[in-house]
Amino acid sequence: MILSGFPRFIRCRVSPLSQNLKQPNNYLQTLSHSTHHHGIVSCLSTIPSKPISSSQLQIPLFLREPIYSATVSDLEKWKNWAKTLVYSVGSKFLETDNGPEVNTLYREIQWLLEDVVVEEQRVSTEEKVVKLRTEMDQLYFLWKQRIEKRRPFQYIVGCEHWRDLILCVQEGVLIPRPETAKIVELVQEVVAKDKGLREGLWADLGTGSGALAIAIGKVLGTQGKVIATDLSPIAASVAEFNVKRYDLQDKVEIRQGSWLEPLEDAKGKLAGLVSNPPYIPSDQILGLQAEVGKHEPRLALDGGENGMDDLLHLCEGAASMLKPGGFYAFETNGEKQSKFLVNFMMNHPKSMFQDVRILADFAGIERFVTGFCQ
Amino acid sequence: MGSHLLKNPKIKRTLFTSTFRSSISKSIHQIPHLTNHNSSDSRASTSSLGTSQNTRNPRWIHQNYLVSSLKIRSFSSQVVTDELQTTDGLTVDQITASQWPILDETEGDWRSHASAVAQSIQLIKKRLQWKKLVMRLQMLTIELNKPDLWDDPVHAGKISREHGSLMGKMKEVNGFERELLEHIDMVKLAKEENDGELELESLKALFKMRRSAKEKELKAMLAGAHDPCSCFIEVQPGAGGTESMDWASMVMNMYKSWGQRRGYGVTVVDEMAGEVAGIKRATIKVDGEYAFGYAKAEVGTHRLVRISPFDSGKRRHTSFAAVAVTPILGDVSAQVQINESDLRIERFRSGGAGGQHANTTDSAVRIVHIPTGVTATCQNERSQHQNKAMAMAVLQSRLDQLEMVRQAQMNAQHTQSLTDNSWGNQIRSYVLHPYRMVKDLRTNYEVSDPDSVLDGDLDDFILSYLSASMDKDEDDVC
Repeated sequence: MILSGFPRFIRCRVSPLSQNLKQPNNYLQTLSHSTHHHGIVSCLSTIPSKPISSSQLQIPLFLREPIYSATVSDLEKWKNWAKTLVYSVGSKFLETDNGPEVNTLYREIQWLLEDVVVEEQRVSTEEKVVKLRTEMDQLYFLWKQRIEKRRPFQYIVGCEHWRDLILCVQEGVLIPRPETAKIVELVQEVVAKDKGLREGLWADLGTGSGALAIAIGKVLGTQGKVIATDLSPIAASVAEFNVKRYDLQDKVEIRQGSWLEPLEDAKGKLAGLVSNPPYIPSDQILGLQAEVGKHEPRLALDGGENGMDDLLHLCEGAASMLKPGGFYAFETNGEKQSKFLVNFMMNHPKSMFQDVRILADFAGIERFVTGFCQ
Repeated sequence: MGSHLLKNPKIKRTLFTSTFRSSISKSIHQIPHLTNHNSSDSRASTSSLGTSQNTRNPRWIHQNYLVSSLKIRSFSSQVVTDELQTTDGLTVDQITASQWPILDETEGDWRSHASAVAQSIQLIKKRLQWKKLVMRLQMLTIELNKPDLWDDPVHAGKISREHGSLMGKMKEVNGFERELLEHIDMVKLAKEENDGELELESLKALFKMRRSAKEKELKAMLAGAHDPCSCFIEVQPGAGGTESMDWASMVMNMYKSWGQRRGYGVTVVDEMAGEVAGIKRATIKVDGEYAFGYAKAEVGTHRLVRISPFDSGKRRHTSFAAVAVTPILGDVSAQVQINESDLRIERFRSGGAGGQHANTTDSAVRIVHIPTGVTATCQNERSQHQNKAMAMAVLQSRLDQLEMVRQAQMNAQHTQSLTDNSWGNQIRSYVLHPYRMVKDLRTNYEVSDPDSVLDGDLDDFILSYLSASMDKDEDDVC
């Protein structure tokens, strides 16, 4: 179904390491893709890839059927237990690796309940029964994972609220970051001014959950379209799922494959190109915040020795993909990478870029490189 | 303008409600001037202001008995400024002035019911500031009839909305009053005719009116332009550290429970926990009809006296918490225009490298309105986008409130009531030790069960304050 159109073979060395999380009741069918990435240039071996069937998609909590129930006092008991667990952590996570602090975790408890409990009412009768989208045991198990394993909250509930979207995510798919939303704003600005861009063909490379592709799909005109690519089969199928949830199948097409490879037919035709490629230098992966380093896909984070492998690859490709006047925006690791990239673009012998700019994110870090094709 | 009083008090204008239609056939021969059956009644459906002119026409009277309820409604959509009365000239004012004894509801005396309803009508009119309402309505009608009104559609929309809302209130009260007088007529008629069935029916109807009058009284208390809005409630501790922060969170919980008891949607928008206990500040959104109308009664400083749980010496402490309530205006055209360039938007940042390095669910947003210094923070939504939208809504609400205060201050009449309500005024005292009591310092209303109040049982306090503040302006009788 979802992946029927995917190529049987992909040209990269991906080692899918299926590792089902052991859980009571075997409720979640989690597929943890531990993929190791060596930079696109070195990816030459060909490995057959199994299509990901929809059964391997993890249904986020908030979309499950409320077939379980619990009393209000059961929930209160769980909540107190969950808070005690948080309290015991204190500022430990924050101090170790800039991880979540107590207030953030308290809010997550509330949000987890929001996603699981169908009608949580404050009623005087403690014995009132409410409907749940998962079992009580599972709630205990999930929160334990959150605190003890530092499993990201977004994987626990299976979704991330990003901009005005609720995007389903699961292990193997990068959780969209708030910084990246700026790219949508930038696209909004340029398409507002230019009909050709508004009604044109766009590409989101390394789409992950499909966040950028979906958000851009929503700001384009009636003729505008987005093709989103991702090397990871699991990301591609999650993105596909999200596209369907927003009923954008006619506007956003997901193609599985490495960066520009699935876009041969769009060469020189793109009105716009955006990407949030992996940009963290390999040697920094180990020191990452546990939620990121231990759980999110390395494929989406590790940008090679200086973090620039994929960014440079994309810059080189962008010139041939964009049509004249086409717009591009890349997210980078910060000032150093952005400056390097601008320098690379301007001084490249075949440079075709103009109006190249560096833009800061909301924290003031020079995060984005944008420009137009001549 | 048709505002003159009727010269002939004997003329009757009545309206039959469905309850009575069954009895019409019996009693219709009693009505004078019942001759001209065939003239078409164009006046009943015209919408000029000269309603009282119509009422002098005997033909109109007769038509009034026969026209369908649809036409009757169109009649009542006109501004009625003259006094309504029964066949024998009895008015609501006369009924209350005659001081018929008001007995318990269960006693089946029609005079008692009628008198109770008449009193309610007077109270409702007073609460609605009837004279002002009528004048405003006439002004609006003139405005609405100007041919160039729709040249400015925003202004026109505003005028016609206000007109519609005031007209609705007027229609409701007039209809209620007319109903009362008709029932009185019917009772008298039934007595003359010795029609026991009709008398009982009328009595029942009066009883029913008496019941619904109480509700209408309440509704009239919430007649302010913004009263039907949802609102934000903000609580801040006074000086005194942990002690006050704990009290502030108790106050916040009181409002959360109050909102939930009333069936409102309650969401925490912004909450900053104290280091040891309680909150440094918190804002909740209370969603639902008349949330602002009720909650505005809570604005001010709330005082707590208790043995401190944080004091090892077990001494008595007094703590303060300030409550602010701002309306969420549904009507965008009534909102203050905010200039994007006047805003400074601060977002939570995890520190460090950000981007792919950090995964946090903390997406707090703080917005500062630079010209006024008003700020709003939101961190309880799940995306930065939503937090920003919510913080903007809070900011909008606070700026709207500021503007309302500014406008009210320009209008000298309102200055008094506003100073009563200002942020710094101590409005209520909660004593847990050495005795137990909650007392409203504005109304002297008090209860001896602080626990139930702190658990959100606030309605009696709110209603007693609202009625006291509404009903004290003796000079503004209808």
